[in-house]
Amino acid sequence: MAGVGFQRWVRTLSKGRLSGISALLTPCRAASGVSKDMLPGAYPKTPQEMAAAAKKYSIRLEDYKPMPDHGEGFGDYPQLPNKSQHERDPTYQWDHMDLRRNWGEPMHWDFDMYIRNRVDTSPTATSWNSMCKQLFGFLGFMMFMFYLGHKFPAYQPVGPKQLPYNNLHLERGGSPDVQPEEVKNYEI
Amino acid sequence: MGAHLVRRYITESDTEPDPAKKYEFDSLYGFPERKEREMVATQEQMCAARLPLEQRDYCAHHLLRFMKCKRDHWPNLLACSNQKHDWDLCEHQDYVMRMKEYERERRLQLRKKRIQGQAEAA
Repeated sequence: MAGVGFQRWVRTLSKGRLSGISALLTPCRAASGVSKDMLPGAYPKTPQEMAAAAKKYSIRLEDYKPMPDHGEGFGDYPQLPNKSQHERDPTYQWDHMDLRRNWGEPMHWDFDMYIRNRVDTSPTATSWNSMCKQLFGFLGFMMFMFYLGHKFPAYQPVGPKQLPYNNLHLERGGSPDVQPEEVKNYEI
Repeated sequence: MGAHLVRRYITESDTEPDPAKKYEFDSLYGFPERKEREMVATQEQMCAARLPLEQRDYCAHHLLRFMKCKRDHWPNLLACSNQKHDWDLCEHQDYVMRMKEYERERRLQLRKKRIQGQAEAA
């Protein structure tokens, strides 16, 4: 094995197109990433291909529906319902209790998005329509009441506060050169 | 409670005084011997005591005495209850005077309307 590797090195270096480490790496495929048999196959067109794909993903044929073929590379990957793992039964003995998933079960394309501490698609206590009605009804009511309070302010039935020294002309920042309007307050 | 608001917005919207506007009738109208309110604390005293503007009213001298007492008797704050009572009473009477001013303006407006109605009827 060592001799074969050495021969390849010599061959690669003697070609002389690339130099250094990259020249050594080019003929090698990266060990990371997925292999070809782990990638989805071609989009199924015939019933036989559909059946084969369904079997491959261990889904019944009537439940199997491939992702729409828009050239995005989904191939024959099945389109599964957009349901979060949180919706699944917590009391059932799942093979993986934390992910609520059984071994060999087909995996959603965005499975990482739908795990239990991410997106939750479980139904809300009230419907979206009802929530909108409540929120905007409340906001609208509050706006209306603010408008009413602005239009018809509430106040105490008293006269204005009486202040000495011409309504505190100097204290309120009035100029000492300007003679303010004389304000006299009387007892009553 | 709120009777003035009902009058202002519903029943007597033409005569009920509007706090946003200046009162129509002169302070001395029909009441020439009225005594002018007396301010005791000077501007310099209030300024030196750094009173907030809303407290520089006709009761400021009571407040100044109260503050001085608190300073002199600290930490025995109960020693100043007399001064505090004087100041509270003065502020209360000030408020009552404002209520009376409001009522005076309201009744004068009613009287004006009544006289106008009689003049039109005659």
